[in-house]
Amino acid sequence: MNLFPLYLTIKVSFTATLITAALGMVLALVLAKKDFFGKNALDVLIMQPLVIPPTVLGYYLLVAFGRSSFLGRFIEDVFGVQLVFTWKGAVVAAFISSLPLFVKPARAAIEEVSGELEDAARLLGRTELGVLWTITLPLAWRGIAAGAVMAFARATGEFGATLMVAGNIPGLTRTLPIAIYDAVQMGDDFTANMLVLIVTLFSFSVLYVVSLFTRGKF
Amino acid sequence: MSLSFSLKKKFREFSLDVDLTLDEDLTVLFGPSGAGKSLTLKMISGLERPDEGVVEIDGKKIFDSAGRVDVPIRKRGVGYLFQDYALFPHMTVARNISYGLKGIEAAGVKERVGELLDIMRLKGLEGRFPSELSGGQRQRVALARTLAAGPRILLLDEPFSALDYQVREKLRADLLKIHERFPITTILVTHDLEEAFMLGGVIAVINEGKVEQFAGREDVFYRPATRNVARFVGSRNIFSGVVKGVEGGDVVIESRALGEIRAERREMANLNTGQKVDFCIRPEEIPVIRKDKGLTGGRPMNLVEGEIVSTTGRGTTHIMFLKTSGALLKIELPNFVVRDLALATGESVGVLLKKESIWIIP
Repeated sequence: MNLFPLYLTIKVSFTATLITAALGMVLALVLAKKDFFGKNALDVLIMQPLVIPPTVLGYYLLVAFGRSSFLGRFIEDVFGVQLVFTWKGAVVAAFISSLPLFVKPARAAIEEVSGELEDAARLLGRTELGVLWTITLPLAWRGIAAGAVMAFARATGEFGATLMVAGNIPGLTRTLPIAIYDAVQMGDDFTANMLVLIVTLFSFSVLYVVSLFTRGKF
Repeated sequence: MSLSFSLKKKFREFSLDVDLTLDEDLTVLFGPSGAGKSLTLKMISGLERPDEGVVEIDGKKIFDSAGRVDVPIRKRGVGYLFQDYALFPHMTVARNISYGLKGIEAAGVKERVGELLDIMRLKGLEGRFPSELSGGQRQRVALARTLAAGPRILLLDEPFSALDYQVREKLRADLLKIHERFPITTILVTHDLEEAFMLGGVIAVINEGKVEQFAGREDVFYRPATRNVARFVGSRNIFSGVVKGVEGGDVVIESRALGEIRAERREMANLNTGQKVDFCIRPEEIPVIRKDKGLTGGRPMNLVEGEIVSTTGRGTTHIMFLKTSGALLKIELPNFVVRDLALATGESVGVLLKKESIWIIP
């Protein structure tokens, strides 16, 4: 059995989760702490992947980052990176789809930290960065960690958008969910069953880990 | 150290306009809920921004809307005790206390924390988390944390409201001791009269965003400046009348509710005949006379007769309401007096409104 899809999925999901966590943290903080024009619009935009069909999302990404688009050419010319039909395209698809799953719980966790505690820290002489580092983040980290685990899980399961953006190139962009689809199409029951088993076990463990975070077991 | 501030802030239905200068004493900001007490503290500390105003500590401006001075919260040197303490739940008692200590080496921190644990009777609890402490301990940790940072002024927002009665009594006494040890200009906010009287050498009575009286506690208690203050300090017996004249040291007042009343004349603005005045008398300053006992030889001055219409035991005292021909008087008597005179609802008695106990509200 070819285990490349498993390896690729882990690589893609891990990279995507790192980007999601970094950018998502900034977005969660801004959404939780700041009031600005267009805040609701930004929120709606980030949450889109939760409701929009993955193929539609993939189509948008294809159009946006394709070699004929301005953005796609810009990225290719400046960074020398081609996104469409490469594993990096799969990362972009996974990142966009998993972002809401991180931002939502992270924002809620940050908002839940009492403003009075942050005020108390300011009154005791701390800078805004100091308050964030010693009060807000330590008290919100459970929600943030749970969000990161959910985002990782979502990234491993990404199918529709990935197929649109990265395609299904064996040994190059064929991720686990796509490999399952392929195996079923080919009538390769053994591979399909094994991959399904791996994904199922993984999904269960993810939700278990998340429940440990939210029940405060860590 | 001294603190002076003049602050204005408007909300839709509420506007606040306070102006006070305080010295190294403990000043109580007293008034009903919603009067703007906590808001005042928040504006001094910078947690809330006034529409306009000035805040000065030791003559140095930390806020001035006109001069565009707005020192950030962290640099104001204001110690603030929140009503529910705002202890950091993820830090131990020791870490909470040392949180605001900066610029000193580890050994110094340890020494300072140890010293505060000692003063605050928190020895042995340094490793506990806030969730493992009683209400009184939490309050003391919060106070220790605030003092550790070395504040120039101290703002206490209803520091005892979350505690039960016995703990509150003890901690009030503690607070006075601590204030002696750290004589920082302190403002304590409360809506509790007993607390205001016990703690405040100076009391500012605030109502609907305005300071109605700012004076020593005896003044506020016995010589209220306005009807509202009289009401807030528990002087329920407030009446109106017209000055009939001044005879010797007495002011003679004709009151619809009580008839002719004589009040001792105090050093106050001149009272003209025919002028309308309000006067009050504290419920615990009114002696009761049974008509079948005593009352020999002439009718005493300011005798008011009536029927007791309600009697309520309050533990150490009894509260009675006396219905006279034109008024309802509240009287507070020690239990033994009630027992000795066999006072009960339905009895007809006389009360003396002693002229030296009557205060004419200026």
